[in-house]
Amino acid sequence: MSLRQRLLIGLAVLFALIAIVAPVAAILTRAFGDGLGAWWSAIVEPETLHAIWLTVLTALIVLPINIVFGIAAAWAIARFRFPGRRALLILIEIPFAVSPVIAGLCFLLIYGAYGPVGAPLMNEGIQLMFNLTGIVLVSLFVTCPFVMREVLPVLQVTGEDEEKAALTLGANGWQIFRHVTLPNILWALVHGAILATARAMGEFGAVSVVSGAVRGQTMTLPLQVELLYNDYNTTGAFAAATVLTALALVTLMLRSAIAAVHPEAGGRT
Amino acid sequence: MSFVVQDIAKTFGGQKVLESVSLSVEKGEFVALLGPSGSGKTTLLNIIAGLTQPDGGRLEIDGEDITRLPSGARRFGMVFQSYALFRHMTVADNIAFGLRVLPRAQRPGRAARAEKVKALLELVEMPELGNRYPAQLSGGQRQRVAMARALAIDPRLLLLDEPFSALDAKVRQSLRSSVRSLQKKVGVSAILVTHDQAEAWALADRVAVMNRGRIEQFDTPEMLRGAPATSFVADFLGIDMLER
Repeated sequence: MSLRQRLLIGLAVLFALIAIVAPVAAILTRAFGDGLGAWWSAIVEPETLHAIWLTVLTALIVLPINIVFGIAAAWAIARFRFPGRRALLILIEIPFAVSPVIAGLCFLLIYGAYGPVGAPLMNEGIQLMFNLTGIVLVSLFVTCPFVMREVLPVLQVTGEDEEKAALTLGANGWQIFRHVTLPNILWALVHGAILATARAMGEFGAVSVVSGAVRGQTMTLPLQVELLYNDYNTTGAFAAATVLTALALVTLMLRSAIAAVHPEAGGRT
Repeated sequence: MSFVVQDIAKTFGGQKVLESVSLSVEKGEFVALLGPSGSGKTTLLNIIAGLTQPDGGRLEIDGEDITRLPSGARRFGMVFQSYALFRHMTVADNIAFGLRVLPRAQRPGRAARAEKVKALLELVEMPELGNRYPAQLSGGQRQRVAMARALAIDPRLLLLDEPFSALDAKVRQSLRSSVRSLQKKVGVSAILVTHDQAEAWALADRVAVMNRGRIEQFDTPEMLRGAPATSFVADFLGIDMLER
């Protein structure tokens, strides 16, 4: 190994230590600094438990919608030529480009109590912002490109002839999807879903705008971490952060496990 | 069974791809659509298969108008150029697919399906390979699986889209005769799309020579070579008109 190679590898390791390992280690040392018991009682704090529940619930609601929408959009773009196809492709990518805080503000402007959509609904007694609905809506916004982005390239290069063959053999639309298309895109779909879920659980900016940050009610985990930290409750903040970190690590491990078994699905991000 | 194509026309984006094409296939007959690329032969096959809708004209099988019938309801077995095998299914599952997707009332039971798959695997001379996946097969074997899958639905018509183009020359030769004998054995009428004359001569009872969306001549190979109707046919077949 040449000196230059050693130097490059050393730099990469150093960067990883500073940017990734050190923060995670810091979270863990601070969270467990007062002992396992203190960590545990911080976790089972009702507000924190509720934040965990709200985060998981949001992810669980967002996930199936993302899957259905992502497949439908990717399918339409890959298989059909229609007016507005390119526009749709760009439109779906907007959440990648727009700052989440701006997105949250836009939602507040439109769906809030004085917005063009929110106001009439408010009169009917339906409130969209500062509750679970608002959190789910913005989470959908920030995560909607992931599944489509993963599935589209797979659909574009595979399966069109197979789908036609299935059609000539008498299969109906659902049978074609179930037996031919879905098996072809499955791993890309799982990969996209994992990325979307990780993003949904970790989203801070957009959610903080629309949630209203009502203690014990509309606090997701990232918001709860900040709240606890601002309350000088360091152990609580870092304990909650360990949960978020654990969720992220599980998604990461799932992702690399899939990449190991199905390299064709894991290469892109 | 007799199949009739009548005045079929198709335009793609202002360009006429097919202009008033007519054709007939008798029971058990093997017809080839022969022509250079862009002559409209694949579009015609896709229209026959129901994968593309014609702008005008009529398709008829035994007097029944099937022009607007959905692809799956036509019961035409199609072999694609790429074979389009279902990559995540075994050979046996590929072949059984057309039976498995039948409505419950018409669907044969598991045992009956297995029986049929076994018979078809024997027919295409691959009795041992039912548990393999398409990726584990040679090009020639894939083509025969595609044939077996198309035949599994007891097709009223067999459609072959350049089925030999993905094979090397040697395999091509031997598969030609096996496709022909298979078609004869089953007794199904067949339409083959090809740009390769030798293939058309070796397989077809009658050949439709296509050029720019029209059929220039539809005749037996002997008549085509003996009496080309147009200068295009003569040129395409490499016959010198002046020498005759």
